[in-house]
Amino acid sequence: MSEKKQQVSRRQFLNYTLTGVGGFMAAGMLVPMLRMAVDPVLQESAAGDLVNVGLAVEDITNEPQRVDWKIDQVDAWYESKVGKSAWVYKNDNDEIVALSPICKHLGCVVSWEGSEQFPDQFYCPCHGGRYHKDGQNIPGTPPTAPLDVYESKVENGMLYLGMAHPRGEA
Amino acid sequence: MQWIKEDVKQYIQAKEYVDTVIVPLIPYHLSKDSELEKNAFQSEVLSIFAKEIEKELSGRVMLSPNYYYLKSGSKEEELNRINSWSGDARTQPFNNIFFVTFDSAWKKDEQALDGTLIWLPGIQSGDLKSNELHSFIHDQVEQIGEYIKSYW
Repeated sequence: MSEKKQQVSRRQFLNYTLTGVGGFMAAGMLVPMLRMAVDPVLQESAAGDLVNVGLAVEDITNEPQRVDWKIDQVDAWYESKVGKSAWVYKNDNDEIVALSPICKHLGCVVSWEGSEQFPDQFYCPCHGGRYHKDGQNIPGTPPTAPLDVYESKVENGMLYLGMAHPRGEA
Repeated sequence: MQWIKEDVKQYIQAKEYVDTVIVPLIPYHLSKDSELEKNAFQSEVLSIFAKEIEKELSGRVMLSPNYYYLKSGSKEEELNRINSWSGDARTQPFNNIFFVTFDSAWKKDEQALDGTLIWLPGIQSGDLKSNELHSFIHDQVEQIGEYIKSYW
């Protein structure tokens, strides 16, 4: 009887406990180190995140409006706030469209109905580049590609925008 | 476009589309304690300012590096140097040269400058991170953009 009761001897008990506690301590030390080693993998890329741009969906109309927001951008030397902007409107199918305002010609900022001569078009003040409302460039003006389109989503009635992609890739 | 490799590469390929230079004129000195803070702050604001204008109109505008000068220095000498910057740009040809500055001293010598002076009165102090300053700069950039466009 007493033999059976003593299946775990004092020596064994101490061994188990010490291994257990030692292992726990080792893990406590190793896990943060491991985490640090793979940290870059775990970190979500800030650029890929969609950002709340502070525009409620119900305020989006059929008329393109300009929204400006800021994102944190880290490059090799600086971490900085970078201003971004977009032209946002609802198209005929009631889908939200967010176009990058950067002209595909040489990178000026286009504006909706920026020229009185061309209503219902995006107009680039630098070299007269023009785009239709859907961002398609108008042949005969300098730009050779349509305006980039932002990734977008709606959450809790607010508009979130991500990266701008050339049309066709998005 | 700015004076950085990427932009300059693009500039060479698109030379015929870029005809405007913006030169920020920024005074510098260390001799008058009472003015240092103000001048340093204005220098920061003007640099931001110039970058913002460049961002709006980057396809047609070359933002030159800041032109720093000693505040107490001889204006005549500086005029010569500034005009040699303009002269160099004009050979390209850049037809429109704009100088932006907070220093009212240039207003008097405006005629002697080879280019258009945009003197911005105002901002003496403030907080660069504040929202008021942001929207102030934003509005000014818009108006100056309009002004520059009127030359095109």
